[in-house]
Amino acid sequence: MQTIYTDVLVIGAGLAGERAAIEAAQAGFSAICLSLVPARRSHSSAAMGGMQAALGNCAKGEGDCPDVHFSDTVKGSDWGCDQEVARLFADQAPIEMRQLAHWGVPWNRVVPGKDTYFKGGKIFDKEEKEENRGLITARDFGGTAKWRTCYVSDGTGHSVLFTVDNVCAQLGVEVHDKTEAVALIQDGQTCFGAVARCLRTGELRVYLAKATTIATGGFGRIYPGTTNAVICDGGGHITALNTGVVPMGNMEAVQFHPTGIVPTEILVTEGCRGDGGTLLDVNEERFMNIYEPEKQELASRDVVSRWMTHHIRLGKGVKSPYGDHLWLDIRHLGEKHITGKLREVYEICTSFLGVDPIHQLIPVRPTQHYSMGGVRTNKDGHAYGLKGLFSVGEAACWDMHGFNRLGGNSLAETVVAGGIVGKKIAEFLQGAEVTFNSGVIDAEVKKQQERIQNIISCKAGTENVYKVRTAMQDALFKGANIFRTDAGLTECVNTLQETLARARKVGLKSNGKGVNPELSAALKIEGQVKMALMLSYGALKRTESRGSHNREDFTARNDRDWLTRTLAYWKSEKDDLPTLDYEAATNIFHIPPGDRGYGKSEIIKADDVKTEDKG
Amino acid sequence: MARSLKFNIFRYNPQDPESTPHMESFVLEETDSMTLFIVLNRIREEQDPSLQFDFCCRAGICGSCGMVVNGRPSLACHTKTKELPDEITLLPLPVFQLVGDLSVDTGSWFRELYDTVESWIHTKKEFDPKAQEERMENEVAEAIYELDRCVECGCCVAACGTARLRPDFLGAAGLNRVGRFLIDPRDERTEQDYYQIIGNDMGIFGCMGLLACEDVCPKHMPLQDQLGFLRKKMGITALKTFFKK
Amino acid sequence: MSVPLTANHKSLQCHRWDGVLDWAQMLSGAGLIAFMWMHMTLVASVVLSPSIMNAIAEFFEATGMAQVGGPLVFLLFLAHFALAARKIPFRLEGQKTIWEHAKLLHHTDTWLWVVQVVSAMIILVMGAIHMWVVLSDLPITALKSAARIQSGAWIFFYLLLLPLVELHVGIGLYRIAVKWGFVQRSGRKGLKRGENLLTLVFITIGLLTLVRFWFLKG
Repeated sequence: MQTIYTDVLVIGAGLAGERAAIEAAQAGFSAICLSLVPARRSHSSAAMGGMQAALGNCAKGEGDCPDVHFSDTVKGSDWGCDQEVARLFADQAPIEMRQLAHWGVPWNRVVPGKDTYFKGGKIFDKEEKEENRGLITARDFGGTAKWRTCYVSDGTGHSVLFTVDNVCAQLGVEVHDKTEAVALIQDGQTCFGAVARCLRTGELRVYLAKATTIATGGFGRIYPGTTNAVICDGGGHITALNTGVVPMGNMEAVQFHPTGIVPTEILVTEGCRGDGGTLLDVNEERFMNIYEPEKQELASRDVVSRWMTHHIRLGKGVKSPYGDHLWLDIRHLGEKHITGKLREVYEICTSFLGVDPIHQLIPVRPTQHYSMGGVRTNKDGHAYGLKGLFSVGEAACWDMHGFNRLGGNSLAETVVAGGIVGKKIAEFLQGAEVTFNSGVIDAEVKKQQERIQNIISCKAGTENVYKVRTAMQDALFKGANIFRTDAGLTECVNTLQETLARARKVGLKSNGKGVNPELSAALKIEGQVKMALMLSYGALKRTESRGSHNREDFTARNDRDWLTRTLAYWKSEKDDLPTLDYEAATNIFHIPPGDRGYGKSEIIKADDVKTEDKG
Repeated sequence: MARSLKFNIFRYNPQDPESTPHMESFVLEETDSMTLFIVLNRIREEQDPSLQFDFCCRAGICGSCGMVVNGRPSLACHTKTKELPDEITLLPLPVFQLVGDLSVDTGSWFRELYDTVESWIHTKKEFDPKAQEERMENEVAEAIYELDRCVECGCCVAACGTARLRPDFLGAAGLNRVGRFLIDPRDERTEQDYYQIIGNDMGIFGCMGLLACEDVCPKHMPLQDQLGFLRKKMGITALKTFFKK
Repeated sequence: MSVPLTANHKSLQCHRWDGVLDWAQMLSGAGLIAFMWMHMTLVASVVLSPSIMNAIAEFFEATGMAQVGGPLVFLLFLAHFALAARKIPFRLEGQKTIWEHAKLLHHTDTWLWVVQVVSAMIILVMGAIHMWVVLSDLPITALKSAARIQSGAWIFFYLLLLPLVELHVGIGLYRIAVKWGFVQRSGRKGLKRGENLLTLVFITIGLLTLVRFWFLKG
């Protein structure tokens, strides 16, 4: 068996992982990133919008500073975030954008002069200052007080990822692509690296490292419909939760986006509705004007998503081979507007649906979009429970997003956190002396080899992995979706427990030789169901509504009992339920819990039980 | 009435000694808005779970799913069955090492390319975290992005006659990557530096001008113009170098 | 941490010749294209009147351009072949690859390249024969040319050589224009159309010339 030594092993080669590896490499340490796909195909590349950083260069961003950014982030999180971390993030973000510019990101720049912009379908004027010519500019994103989102045309994630990967190539950070980590090597106290499966040959390989970092992004693929890439399947999380000692934080905090297209769940931007697009049901009638007479289609993401789901539940959805959906109508905006300001939407519709949005309706439904939860770490990115294990990016619950993240904050988090955590990893390595215990390594390798053999030979059973996966996805879709209730979540947990039993009996139909995709799926399915259970069980126990976690039976945000973060452990492999624990959401309050200033505001305060109804 | 579609797919698992390269047919009923992403996943889940192919973003952004669809290298995720005949042939991209069935190794190919063309900004300036960013005209930034848009799917390389004939050819994607740095004011490399990299038959002078790259590029990169620009630029550098001798 | 900041490949040597040879290939091609157009126009003058053609031929003879220029063109012709041949696969394996590639791709410009290569091989042989026959029997006169075309299988020889040359010249010109960026993306379609038209025009002129020679009696 091939064994590879490195100072830092990063599982995942997206923006967060590569950015952290760069810090380690710059400090003189060797670094290897493992990735399911070539680094530049990582899902970071799909983020089009931009990165939030309070540079304050553009006219509509004047007066912006990290304090305002911090405050927007905390409010956005519905006070679920770690404020110390959010502060670190907001302060570092502008510096990171400049660092990226230095490395070669072609940020869009300030063009002085008068210009116009759209808001709510209306035209406004603005004037950019001559003194700011050529500085990094920003665009508008939801939930922010200022225009703060730095961007590269419609390909911010793509451009930044290419740049960061260039720097990796320059610094000699190795990327072993088509390689999948299947288990961490650890003794319950320290992490020594990982066992990985080569997706070119199907063979196992051992990576030994003084520091191991999980940076595998989100886990949207445990839902049936998600805007996430197919590689966002929680593989990294599974390696951590299988240790039994590393907790997952806030797994119930999942963000849904109102307008994923059907089928294939690609996102179409909020701009459609911002500019006057409407949502229609099976009778081609509007409904948001009935549910939300005031804001209508322009209510916040979670609110619109909730009503859309409600409406589909009433049977007003449009039936299709890919499940029920609703319509997005932008026809009345006209050809010029659609092929101009909404060009991206036009291209997605024509390229992926064969729908011409100038004359036809766009099939949409709320779609899983972002996982706020993940591998729980401290503010240094060091995972709870295991020395030498780090996590960063969407994979981690570093926790600057709490229960809802703002647009543009996730992409910024990847590089900002990558930089911060990468430095901490380098610091950790400075004094680290690790003795690799060959007994532990051999035991883990043997365990994985046996597991693979058992699945191929159908030792435990012949359950079809794809059917089990569908069962898991359907259970989450039904019970742990936008609306959550005690009954729904209880049923979801029960179904998932049955699914877990089935997942343990998965066996292959095919021969399992080489890079067998069925085997790849089968190796992950049990862990995925465990994650689904962490998510739904955490949601069941959290009897309040906060950010994207909406309980129909507990509609208020309860700061008295639930200003906490859920920590979910899978203590023993044989368990059928995760073990939940809780910790304070934040140890330092720069901003005490209060009203977000948007959305419904029903709060049970920490000091009294009074409910405030502000409509 | 839904069409019945026949997919002829290249099959070979190099890791299985019993496997030999052959074509295999699968039949599927067409559904609304069906793309090859849906087709291939359905075949894997319903008919043959061992079928290998690569998808990632499935939104035309990441470049994972390049394959030859009825003779044309394209991204499978945004290929709609509606635009294809009843019988569809799918082959892996040539030039790249085959991993199995429709999956090829573009990662190693491109990784090597980054080292060859030194695909990063070369500057002696140090980053100063306290300083304001260096200014750049927005037009320049947009011009760089226009060349930075390439998703490295490998379709241009697979469609390139030169790349088929000589394995060390950088291909349109590689040459375009050099062009991206050439117009970036932050990169301090001189024309001579670039000439060292692409002023040869492995680089721009290897291009025979067949323009299949331009015609198949799923992102509609301006490859014809870019290759022409580089040939002129490097051609002039070649003459300068030659006569300076 | 030290990082090399400038290109320092030892493995990549400056291939001074590749660029120069590429220029030479293009310029020799362009020169031959110019020559072919002139050649065609001059010979086609026979359609108007054999005496015009004779006058032109005499002019070239008297100034010595036929005696010196002829062999020079022949050398240019050989040089162009040698230069372009650097890119042509001469081994069976390469030929198989490119043939399969063209068949797979259904791509016009790739097929055009195959046409260019195949025509080049034939033109190499036939062009050499043509030049040898003409240059070894100077001066050129309309009657001598007519007599040759009317004898033996020469008419078939020229009926094959003419379209091959015109195709090769047309495609070559198009290729130079797009390859060197003289024509941009926006102009490519128009260029192709113009090129096709030009090729057709020259083939037509060539055919008319052959017909005139066929019926020209002494």
